Amino acid sequence: MKTAGTILALVIVGCLLPQLANAERTVVLITSDLCPVREISQLDIRKAYLSVAVNIDGHTIRPFRLGGDEKLSQIFYQSIVAMSRKSYERRALSMALKFGTPRPAVFEDVDSAADAVRRLRCSVLYLWKEDADSLDGVRTIKLLWQGD
Amino acid sequence: MIVPERRRMSRNSFGFLPTCLLLGVLCSASAAAESQQEILFFPSVDTFDPFDESDSAEIDDFQRATLNTLYSFSGDRFRFLGEYLWSSTESEMERLKAGWQFQNGKMLWLGRYHATAKYWTSEYHHGQFLQTSITRPSLEEWEDESGPTPSHVTGLSLEFDHQRDDESAISFAFSAGLTAKFEGEELVAFDLLDPRSGHGPGLNFKIAYRPNILSPLQFGFLSSWHDIDVVSESNPSLADLNDITQLTAGGFVDWRWKDLRLISSVVYFDNELDYVDEDVSDSFWLSYVQFEYEFSDDFTFFGRTDNGIEEDNSPYLRLLPAFIAHRHMLGLRWDVASFHSLTVEVADTSQQGEGLEHDNFKEIRFQWSAVFP
Repeated sequence: MKTAGTILALVIVGCLLPQLANAERTVVLITSDLCPVREISQLDIRKAYLSVAVNIDGHTIRPFRLGGDEKLSQIFYQSIVAMSRKSYERRALSMALKFGTPRPAVFEDVDSAADAVRRLRCSVLYLWKEDADSLDGVRTIKLLWQGD
Repeated sequence: MIVPERRRMSRNSFGFLPTCLLLGVLCSASAAAESQQEILFFPSVDTFDPFDESDSAEIDDFQRATLNTLYSFSGDRFRFLGEYLWSSTESEMERLKAGWQFQNGKMLWLGRYHATAKYWTSEYHHGQFLQTSITRPSLEEWEDESGPTPSHVTGLSLEFDHQRDDESAISFAFSAGLTAKFEGEELVAFDLLDPRSGHGPGLNFKIAYRPNILSPLQFGFLSSWHDIDVVSESNPSLADLNDITQLTAGGFVDWRWKDLRLISSVVYFDNELDYVDEDVSDSFWLSYVQFEYEFSDDFTFFGRTDNGIEEDNSPYLRLLPAFIAHRHMLGLRWDVASFHSLTVEVADTSQQGEGLEHDNFKEIRFQWSAVFP
């Protein structure tokens, strides 16, 4: 009976653990350690991802995107640029066509995106906090989203 | 008879080789500098079939394939943009300009660019995929499609966004440079390879208000002045005409209400035609109103009317026999995939024609357009 109770408790904990782990996730914006910019507003982040020139204390902010993660992409469209995928894609194309502003580069994995951030001073990248915490040479500059 | 879409081969306003060399230099420079660059391809294939033509009209059907290539380079403050159009009817460097950002939101450009005092043109350029309709409004047609006002200017332009405290913005664009000349039956843009080809100066100005700096919604005013040199020997009807001074002033609006969008522009033209023995004054209005209704994620229904006031009596527009005087159009666009669309358009059209009466016809067009990558 005691064994059965232990197994049941383990099963319950086993079921709950992933949910507890997923209960709260955070998306952050990172930049290179070498970038002197300490603060960036939500509006400036949105401007940068919509290909509007953003210059803070003489430093041009260059946005990078992380693809291949559907949940992260949803958060990007809903919370960072606040528009549908289609509207965002058209808008970015339109800005490239009108002003010669290249669309934000999209990387398929965290490592190559982080390499690009380290190489291009004052570039920014959004990603999950747990991924950001494992990277060297970069620092979090803004908390963008928190939820489950 | 001139057909509405020209089929002239290989008009090359700028050498392909120098362009490639310039791009090569920029590409190699970008590896070392803190910069980004991008190449975009805008291909399209369209067909045009006229029917129910008036007696005087001799309009030919056609199929046309087009590839517009856009290269952009963005350094810390330096920016470069090149746009090259290849099609089964022409090959032309449309834009080639280098810019310097000297303050947040202030850009100074030098090169060949599209006239800023034209809303549709400065919004869509040659990016066919981005415009909902197949056709452009006649007010905004290119020089070689019998457009009524110069579309390309070579010189300096200044763009400036002023963000207000409430996050709304006022955008200014001003440009000064060499404008088109009048040759044969159309305007001809300045040729970078032939700087002594005889082109007068032109000025363009546009001011726009946006309720939010990141919003595409806007309305504003635009104005231009062009001193258009005339190649008198190129056409008997230009024999005694020395020069055309053109002043335009108007407004535009691009607004959305949920799934409904309105794009419109109204422009007043004042032309002074300087003939050998007299000066002829000519004024008229041209306008377009386009509605778009996105009734699902993939389908957009649209319609446009191109019309004017006093344009039927204009001695200036009579010099442009292929100019589309009126067009009433309906269409449907299907966004087949993220970056592919199929569009159909039907229209009742009046072309200026060579006599006092317009050439009337109806038309149906189909188009596939896309963007890569």
